[in-house]
Amino acid sequence: MSEIAYYPGCVSKATGREYDISTRSVARALGIELIELEDWSCCGATHVPNEMLSVGLAARNLTQSSLPIMTTCSICYSNLRSAIRRLEDNGLRARLNSVLERKYKGARVMHVVEMLSESLKNRELPIKLSGLRVSPYYGCLLTRPGNGIDSPEHPKVLEDLVRTLGAEPVESPLKMLCCGGPVFMSREDAALESAYHILMSAKRAGADMIMAVCPLCHLMLDAKQGTIERRYGVDLRIPVLYITQLAGIALGLGPDDLALGMNSISPLPLVERVYQSMTAD
Amino acid sequence: MSGAKFTEEVIRLAGEEIRTCIQCGTCSSSCSTAHLMDNSIRKLIRLVLDGRKIEALASDSIWLCTSCLLCTVRCPRGIRPKAVVSALRQICEREGIRSRDASFERIFMDQIRSMGRISEVLLSAAYALRNPDAAVPIMEMGIELLSRGKVSLDPGSVKGMDEIERIFREFENE
Repeated sequence: MSEIAYYPGCVSKATGREYDISTRSVARALGIELIELEDWSCCGATHVPNEMLSVGLAARNLTQSSLPIMTTCSICYSNLRSAIRRLEDNGLRARLNSVLERKYKGARVMHVVEMLSESLKNRELPIKLSGLRVSPYYGCLLTRPGNGIDSPEHPKVLEDLVRTLGAEPVESPLKMLCCGGPVFMSREDAALESAYHILMSAKRAGADMIMAVCPLCHLMLDAKQGTIERRYGVDLRIPVLYITQLAGIALGLGPDDLALGMNSISPLPLVERVYQSMTAD
Repeated sequence: MSGAKFTEEVIRLAGEEIRTCIQCGTCSSSCSTAHLMDNSIRKLIRLVLDGRKIEALASDSIWLCTSCLLCTVRCPRGIRPKAVVSALRQICEREGIRSRDASFERIFMDQIRSMGRISEVLLSAAYALRNPDAAVPIMEMGIELLSRGKVSLDPGSVKGMDEIERIFREFENE
């Protein structure tokens, strides 16, 4: 069994609970032992304008394990990766180390997308998702500013993963438009407008569902979907599953393991359809 | 702070590359909230370089930036427009220029400093208290999340609070 350190991030305890639950279940099914960072703290998200302070807050988490660190949140991921790049500066590294409990000596950070891409390779999946049309939603910070996971302009890592899972990726033109999440409290109108366009774009592309890889994106597209429908007078009702929930379905895990009851737009009818098409085969 | 000093301060915080801006507008055309802004990101950088401090700091655009970083990926001069926005937010804070957006960042950072982690409930409550008109959408959101079992008061406690305090002290006056 391989071991990976897990940085859940603040959202995993509340808004993103189904992401956390499904991540743990999928890791178990894949034979990966997730070891939660002992004393993790907030990475600063997008709300610490002082860049040095932001690097410091993110970097504290990097000193807590010598294992590769996996996170499911694209904001945490981008912040941790950026901190690693900034800490190549010896002056900054020395300054930070003068206040840290454990010295920073370099770290490896991965997104759960990378963990899944790696461990699902050549793996026989018990549940076939064939015929399921999935719109992968990248959002911003999985690839940006240049996290190394894939091209920040023309990525394909999520489409590849959808194919690995046996489903069909659907091309939505707005798959990389910002969901507006970081300003949803202070600038609700701006945030809802972005999320509305993303949902419509996936819908027009003929997707059965959207696949999300960040809890803030998920909040905007799933929990806020009802608000968006009312505001814009449209009927959307498109399920938004976390990448770990979709992978879990393909791995044969049950709705409770994947917390499918926690999504605002229920994915259960869709899951039912997947099971039915299997028995029909 | 004079106009020239203001320009130098933004450059110190956000990078020397800013001086090389050719005003091509790639940043603005990549921006997901550009259509809502009073000054485009391109113009904001012009204001900074021209030392037009009051206009730059009063611009609503600073707060409409969602930190999506598409401008940063695309700038042909290697400028990080999001870093310029962050620098302006930081200067606003230092100069005591208040806004609802600034209050959100203040609450967010205070919570990291006092608890180490963010509790969405406490964050939302503190923000709604200072900005009562935000209370209705926040309540609406809260009800939706509560019905899904996704509200938690306790984000878990952090032992290394002294360490977090030291990080703040080392870098907060940057």
